[in-house]
Amino acid sequence: MDFYFGLIQIIGVHTLLGLSAYCVLLTGQVSLAQAGFFAIGAYVAGMLTVIAQWPLVPALGVSALVAGATACAVGFPALRVKGLMLVVATVAFGEAVRLFFFNFTYQVQAGNIRLGPHGGEGFRQIRYFPENGWTTLDVMLFIWAVVALVMAGLWWLNRSRAGAVLRAVGEDELAAQSTGINITAVKISAMTVGGVIAGIGGGIFAHYTTHIEHVQFGVVLATFAIAYPILGGLSNVFGTLLAVIFIQGFLIEGLRFMGDWRNLLFGGLIVLAMNVRPRGLLDAGAMLALKRLFFSRKERSDA
Amino acid sequence: MRNLTVAFAALLAGMTLSVSEDAFAQERTVKITGFGAKSGVVRVFGINSEAAMKAGAEEINKTGGVTLGDGTKAKLTVEFLDDRCNAEEGISVVRRIASTDAFVAVGPTCSNVAESLFGILQKKAGDATDSGLQFPIIADVAAKGGLAKISEWSFRNVPSEFEMYKSLFAWVKSQHPNLKTIYGGVEKDFAHSNATFGVMKSQAETNGFQIAGSAEWLLNDTTFSTQVREMKRANADIVAISAHPFTTCGVLKEMERQGVKPKLLIGLTSSSSIETLQGCAKQAEGIIIPTSFAPVTPEAKKAAESVAKFGGSADLHSAAAYEIMFILKDVIQQQKIMAKPDTVQADRVKMRQGLAGLKETMGLLGKVGRTADREAIKPFLYVHAKGGSWQVLHKPSS
Repeated sequence: MDFYFGLIQIIGVHTLLGLSAYCVLLTGQVSLAQAGFFAIGAYVAGMLTVIAQWPLVPALGVSALVAGATACAVGFPALRVKGLMLVVATVAFGEAVRLFFFNFTYQVQAGNIRLGPHGGEGFRQIRYFPENGWTTLDVMLFIWAVVALVMAGLWWLNRSRAGAVLRAVGEDELAAQSTGINITAVKISAMTVGGVIAGIGGGIFAHYTTHIEHVQFGVVLATFAIAYPILGGLSNVFGTLLAVIFIQGFLIEGLRFMGDWRNLLFGGLIVLAMNVRPRGLLDAGAMLALKRLFFSRKERSDA
Repeated sequence: MRNLTVAFAALLAGMTLSVSEDAFAQERTVKITGFGAKSGVVRVFGINSEAAMKAGAEEINKTGGVTLGDGTKAKLTVEFLDDRCNAEEGISVVRRIASTDAFVAVGPTCSNVAESLFGILQKKAGDATDSGLQFPIIADVAAKGGLAKISEWSFRNVPSEFEMYKSLFAWVKSQHPNLKTIYGGVEKDFAHSNATFGVMKSQAETNGFQIAGSAEWLLNDTTFSTQVREMKRANADIVAISAHPFTTCGVLKEMERQGVKPKLLIGLTSSSSIETLQGCAKQAEGIIIPTSFAPVTPEAKKAAESVAKFGGSADLHSAAAYEIMFILKDVIQQQKIMAKPDTVQADRVKMRQGLAGLKETMGLLGKVGRTADREAIKPFLYVHAKGGSWQVLHKPSS
């Protein structure tokens, strides 16, 4: 079962990454900076548990705060530009973060070994889970408790006035502005929430992979981050989860037995999925159909 | 009497048949699973490792296979999984392998994957407070220094690059006392190249060479004009390139285009492969590389032919995979591994103990020492590219 628990862990962490991009995408902005926030979360949480010997939960809290604060700070200049220019600006930020960690060394002596980030060679021995006796099941449950909390928060946000404001900005900025919505504040808030979620995701990522290095947080990860919500659909948070299961569970892990053909199929199936479901795997229409199906069954059973 | 003879012959034939049927029924197979990069820029390493493991298994099977703990004979089969040189996928692959009856895995290709994988293993064997995975892994390719130290369940059969470059730079100094300056080039985003560049640089300085500068590029880069322009400006006697075949060839071709002709070229261990010669034999002419494999012994020649039969090429990495199959055969027999579904965990513990207890193994170039921190001390030699092939330039005495 450990294999399946491990896979569910990966799906959980990637769902957090996808949800971080989902928040920003709701406002109509395409951000490739999520990998940068994810990296910040990973390094901060790793340093706190390994070097400062903090417990995991407060370390994740701090990593969320640092990544969120960075996202907020980046949001001000970055969100002054739109469309492709924003994509370029956020890619540049992501690369700047990656290169920072590429050059960042901060190690302390612990017995006969040195612990901490070591530039291009990465940061090893982030072994909080095994050293504290967490089983694969424990880790999986912890990750999914976090994912459930985040999803519940975003679900609530979606159904609240704040969610309507985010969507209004995403649908038509000018119309939203004309109704008195502070566009900059909304975008920055979405970016900050996205940063917080990415920071938590990155912190967990560092602990289940036990080793992090700059190459893991490049453009490919940033692309995956926005691919999840786009492929899954922006109508609700479950679309992102569905897309992560499709990519990580089916395309990457499920097709592993196909060997070299897997990579060819990977791209082909994503293109196919986006053509068949252009508004996402779980778009508003699919949600409506599910609701009808669910409620009509409930009504029948009540009757 | 004649009838008696016929009856006796029939009885004998029946007995023979029944014995051979028993023997046939007892013949089992043991699957050894390898994993590594079979896609992406470094896919060739995975392809070569798979071919080498299959070649090793075939050689072992030709001589009767492996004797298991209960006395039965088993043939070895090989399965190889792709981790795409990605740490998350590597962890997933190993968890998949560990969820089967496998008692050992061979891999990975990339050092960044090995870092994560060895990290999820139990650090100290038998430590009940550590919930890390208790599964032995022996690496054939991941070459970054000191990786096996991470866990007592991790082992490597890769050469010590520190020893190789220490020896090489001392030799260069003795053979070319007139060469004074050195310029470095490094594939900066790849853990192995980056770490080895540090070794090259420190050994060059230790041997009195003056560092004239260094240029950096990335594993996926395809243009190197800026880096080579800086290299040209430095006009160093020696150029040392710590990069894999793909970018090594790119840099060498750019050096030819810009007319950069150092007096001596030194390369990364991983570039002493057929891919470099296929990509840029002309430009690589003369480059010196320390390696732990060259077809210079009858065993090495045989291994190279056998690996080629399975669609791979023998180099220092795939040769390590080939050797590992024989190491595993010996440990299976020494430790009386049962290879049965109900003995999986006990077999894993025995395999770990067996691998940890090894003091010496037989390699393709001679005896391979084993260190207390589960690394190999492999014999090595220097090869240089000459006329489109790798030829032995020098074999150090130790």
